[in-house]
Parts: sequence; structure tokens; C-alpha cells
Amino acid sequence: MIFTDLHQKLTASFGKDIKNIKIQNSKEMIIEVTSDTLPGICSYIYLELGYPLVLMFANDEQSLQSGYAVYYVFADRAKGLLLVIKTPVDPERMEIPSLSQDIPAAATYEREIKDLFGIIPVGHPNPKRLVFHGNWPEGEYPLRKQFPLKRKPPLAKKEMSFQKIIGEGVYEIPVGPVHAGIIEPGHFRFSVAGEPIINLEAQLFYVHKGIEKLAEGQSIEKCFYISERISGDETFSNSLAYCQAIEKIAQVQIPARAAFTRVIFAELERLISHLGDLGGICLDTAYLFATFQFRMLRGWAYMIADELCGMRFLRSVNKIGGVRKDFIAGKEKKLITDLQKIRTELEDTVHIIKANNLFIDRVENTGILEPKIAAELNAVGPAGRASGLGFDVRKSFPYAAYDKLAFKIPEHFNGDINCRMNTKIEECFESIDLIFQAVEAMPQGSILEPVNSVEPYRSAFGLTESPRGENIHWVMTGENNTIFRYKIRTPSFCNWPALCQAVKGNIVPDFPLINKSFNLSYAGNDL
Amino acid sequence: MFNIIKKVIKYPRLTQSYPHKPFDLRQAVGSPQLDSEICNRCGECIARCPSEAISLNETTKEIGINYKQCIFCLLCVEICPIGAAKTSEHFELATKKLSETSYEVIGSELKTKIKKLFGRSLQIREADAGSCNGCDYEINALNNPFLDIERFGINFVASPRHADMLLVTGTATRNMQQALIKTYNATPDPKLVVAVGACACSGGIFRDSYATNNGIDSIVPVDVYIPGCPPRPQAILHGILKALDRVK
Repeated sequence: MIFTDLHQKLTASFGKDIKNIKIQNSKEMIIEVTSDTLPGICSYIYLELGYPLVLMFANDEQSLQSGYAVYYVFADRAKGLLLVIKTPVDPERMEIPSLSQDIPAAATYEREIKDLFGIIPVGHPNPKRLVFHGNWPEGEYPLRKQFPLKRKPPLAKKEMSFQKIIGEGVYEIPVGPVHAGIIEPGHFRFSVAGEPIINLEAQLFYVHKGIEKLAEGQSIEKCFYISERISGDETFSNSLAYCQAIEKIAQVQIPARAAFTRVIFAELERLISHLGDLGGICLDTAYLFATFQFRMLRGWAYMIADELCGMRFLRSVNKIGGVRKDFIAGKEKKLITDLQKIRTELEDTVHIIKANNLFIDRVENTGILEPKIAAELNAVGPAGRASGLGFDVRKSFPYAAYDKLAFKIPEHFNGDINCRMNTKIEECFESIDLIFQAVEAMPQGSILEPVNSVEPYRSAFGLTESPRGENIHWVMTGENNTIFRYKIRTPSFCNWPALCQAVKGNIVPDFPLINKSFNLSYAGNDL
Repeated sequence: MFNIIKKVIKYPRLTQSYPHKPFDLRQAVGSPQLDSEICNRCGECIARCPSEAISLNETTKEIGINYKQCIFCLLCVEICPIGAAKTSEHFELATKKLSETSYEVIGSELKTKIKKLFGRSLQIREADAGSCNGCDYEINALNNPFLDIERFGINFVASPRHADMLLVTGTATRNMQQALIKTYNATPDPKLVVAVGACACSGGIFRDSYATNNGIDSIVPVDVYIPGCPPRPQAILHGILKALDRVK
């Protein structure tokens, strides 16, 4: 058993406090502990075993006779295991001990749980509202089961407070929520002295739509379409994570051809997204020639998507149990010639931009995300890989057909814009190469293993590497093939706090550039 | 420098001829359509439609898709047992106001007004009021070399104070409500408001949640609706031009 070692270590240290240990879906170990033991066992896992906290969420399980519960998910990325600590919440007190002092990544999750469930993290260093703004009244917690979906509480009028930096010559610059470019809404509060940024506080959740609540009680089929619309440009990665979770619960093995098809679309999505980011970085340095080169390349990549499935955002391509149609059959040759054209042109463009000293000067040593901070906040994806965190879900938790394909994970260590840009450039080439390999290795056969029903009250995790990084979905099924609880954690949720750290000490005009080098999704964060 | 010139010569013009020549749909799919002749009203698609866009009139037995709510997932096409639901080549779905009957009247009024007011130039401010960012990427694509919206004298500006038209995406979430009203008020009169995508037209798949409104027209008046999830850039371009009465 892959868990034996871990099992022994934990029982040796916390044997008498562990109420129950369960292993499900072969790679998920769920340990139930009381809230008194919680800080001890979590610190042990985080500090001694060195597993990062990748997800934390609450669940209203009153209808299952077990009250509210909070789940802490730690990942062993070397072995591809998930270690889940589950603790009940006393319904009288509705409190959990805050772990933010020991585990900095827990801070935002605890604030999210406080807003949505009303579970107070005792001892939290900054228990400010996260999801809700001043217009949301006190005492309304939408993810509790008794809160009806359509209920719209009256608008409250409360001002949001921001961290105050006080000192001679320090002033604040408020920006947003409606920005100058065609981007999503968010409010940024800069504290600056002269040009350098001393502190940045991002007030997000302007596009909070209540997706997790919307999914509850819906059929697994409808919830698939919701998962596709979590974040537009990560449609495929999100729907894939959802499908994988349902497939695990239904214990279905998808056909090999579907697995390879999924690799092709996932990599195409990554390519489109990265080409857009590279164009954005060039645009924000006013390097218009390169911007239009990347926009042209992105346009070509979109044409491939159109050619393959008729949907520029790869919507309605996935399906629980495989893919909707055999999208690749008969189009292999065209796909390869189109991608070769993109590769050659990308090589030329990269050669040109790297030879431009003015451009490299601007991106080098700007917006450095220190590796230590990146690790503490669990920065994921290209942003993490540019700061020396060389993990990738495709290697750590292989899914679809990635274990049958060869690819490299780029790793850089300086953590600046240049490193993030290089990571994305290298990943573009890896993606193109992966598609070539997948087309080559693709077997003939069926593309769908239908899933008609799922057992109630089973849960599973679905992990994918979206263009922005590690993407984790947790699904718990309800009766009659419905969803009981759907927890979504996109990479943007982890990387927003990291971005706020990376801008410190940089000048205000570099903020848009740093922001673009991360290119985080507001919709994916706000849900 | 030499390399840059080489590229400029290699790709002199990428701009597509849309809308002067029709867009070649090829593999791309348009909207779903129900053939009421074939349809036996079994109700399968009505029950399973994720955004509840298909409705049946119980008395007249008329069945139809509300494109303002449709998310173009094509599930109806996939599950229809007798093949009455089909994909069409229609993607230019923009409509003016909610009732099509008054379209001609409003159209002719707008036509003279807009010609007089904006001439052949238009400044647009985009506002995301709670989309999934799909529509925003498609609006961004209007600036790419393939569509190059500036050839129509249309510009995206940085402030609503400089804008003639607001292009709004998303469901108008609770947290964006106030910002959307402020943006609308900051835009000088006369102004046009275009709702882009299923969410902005009707709330789409995010209808009826505690944090959303069912479309932006519950917050601000809307002139043109562009359905789609997301509408492809050509459809958005068509909608903008339609608002200006520069296409039929």
C-alpha cells in the first residue's frame, strides 16, 4: 500500500487522537480528527513532512447527521497523494482554530469559509471579509444548506476598510473596479511613497456569481456546463477536472482515444493562453511589433480550435466519460501542418524579442516573486515554476494520457517577469510537441464510456494543470445523480496573494506589466 | 530590425474581409435550431437544457429556443431522439430591444439619430459586470490583426467619460451593480448600451443566484443584445455595427 509509511508516521505521533482513517479512490487518504488535535497534526504535516496546503474548504453535512465539517487538503507532489484532514465544527460555537500563523496559505481559505459558512477562524491575523463587500449584510451565509439559492439579502451600506500605511509622504492610489483595458473587474489599493509601491491590497470578488451554490442540487450533466463557465479561457481544464472527479466516483476508465484527445485539447488551450500572455507582456512594454506577432499566432491557434471542434473556447468538447465526438479523426495532417507553422513563427518571434535590449531591460528583475514567499503562499503554475517551484500536476498527478508522453517542465529561479515569460515560451514549445506526440500515439477506438448514474454521497478530487497552474475540484454527489457540494479552487486563487507580494518595491507603472506576467483570472478566483 | 522588416513584408495584411464578404463558417458551429415540423414535443431537451432556454407554449404547442438565454452548448442537438434539433450556420444573432416587432420603428429612429450624432466614428468602453471572461477575450479579439475593428472608425477607450457606447458583459453581479450604474452615469448622453453574451442578455447559466441579476437590463437600459456563449468576435462586430445601423 502506498500509504503505509505515512499511516505509520501519523499513528505514531497522533494515534489516540485520530478518530478514523479512510482511503478512497486509491490516492486520497482522509483522516478525521477533533478540532483540538487539528493545529498539531496540520503543523506536523506541513512543517515536518513538508506537504503544502493546497486546498481548504467547509461542507454543510447536517443532512448526513454530521454537522459542519472543515477539510484541509495537503499534497505529496512527489508521490501524487492527497492527504485530507477532516474536522467537525461545534455547531454551538461555529469556530475553528486559525492555522494562518503556521501555514500562511491558509489565510485566504479561512476568510472565504468565514464569509460563506460563518465559521470563525479564531486567532486569524486579518479576518477581513473576502468574498463579500460592504453591500452584504451580517449574518447571511449562502453556502449553508438552509440558505435558499434565489434569496437576495437587502443591500447593506458599509464601507470596506483597507490596510493603512502611515508615514511621511505615503499616499494611496485606488484603481478599479472598472479598468482602462478590456479586462475583468477588481479593485487595487496601492500605498506608495513617491514611485515605489509599499503595499498593495487587492479587493476582488466583484464577479462573484455564487457558482458553488448554483451547482448544489443540480444534475451532474448540468453541473458540467457550469464547470465549463468558471473561467472562460480555462474552459477545458476546468471541465476536465470536473469530469475526472465524476469519473473517479463512478469508477469509470475512459477509453484511450478519449484520453489522448483530452491531451490535445488541454495543450491547445495552454498554447492559446500562453500566446495571449506573451502578447500582453509585449503590449504593456509598448512593444507593438511583437504584440501583433503574438496576436497573429494566437489567432492561428484559435483557427485550429475552430477547425477541430467549431468552438473557439473548446466548450462542449469534454463529456463525462470521454469526449463528445471524435474531433481529431481525419484532421491529423492539417493539425500538424498548422502547428508547425505556429512553431516556426514563434521561434522567429522569440528570437527577435530576446535580441531587444530595451525590452529585456524592462522585464528583467522586475516584479520578483521570492522563492520563499512563493512556497509559503503555494504559488502554482508558470508563476511558481519561475520562482523555483518545479512541480506540475501533469507529472505529480498524471491524468488523461500524460503518463504515456514525454515532456519537460521548465524551471527558472529568479522569479521575475523575464522568468515567467521564459517559462511560458518554453511551455508553448512543449505543448506543441505534446500535441504532435499525442496525434502520433493515438490509438483507434471509442471515445466515450457513458456514465449514467453515480452513487450518492461519494466524493473525489479532480486535478488538472490549467494554463495558469494547479487546478483542484472536489465533488460530493447527492441523491439521484445530483451534486451535493462542488468546491472549486482554480490556480488564480493561490496566485493572487503571490502577485500582491511580487509588486512590492516596484514602481506603479510596472504594475500592469507584472499583473500581465501572472495573467490571473478574476472569474476563476471570484467564482 | 532587419528581421522585423522581413516579418512586415511576409505578413502585409491579415485582416479578414468580414463583414463585406460573409464569414466562412467551415467547421465552426452556429446556433442550435429546432425544427417544429419534425419535433414531437417529447420534452427531453426542455428538461435537460442547462440554461432553461427552451420553452414550450402549452396551448399553441409552439416550441422555441430563447437565444438570449441559450449558452450554445448544443446539448439539445446531441440528445434529441429524432433529430429535430440541428446546428445552423447562423451566428449573427444580435437583436435590438426585447420585442422584435418594434424593431423597424426603433431601427429607423436610431439610424438618423446615430448618423447625425456619431458620424462614422464610435468610441466604445467595455465593462465586465460579472462574466466568465470568455466574452471579454472575444471583445479583445476585435483588436487583433484579423478583425482590426479600427478600420470602421471604432475605438476602445479607457474611460466611460470618453465613450459613446458601453459594451457590457456578465450578469451584473451584486458586487458590480454599483460600479455598472456609475459607469453608465459617467458615459455622456446620447449613449448606446450593448449587452454581449448570454449572461448579459439574460443571466445565462448563472440566472437566479443570490449574487447575480438576470441580465444587465435589470440595472441599465439596453439597446442591442448579442447572444452567444461567448459570441464569436464576428458576431460582436455584427452587433456593434447593427447598433449603428451600418449592417442589415
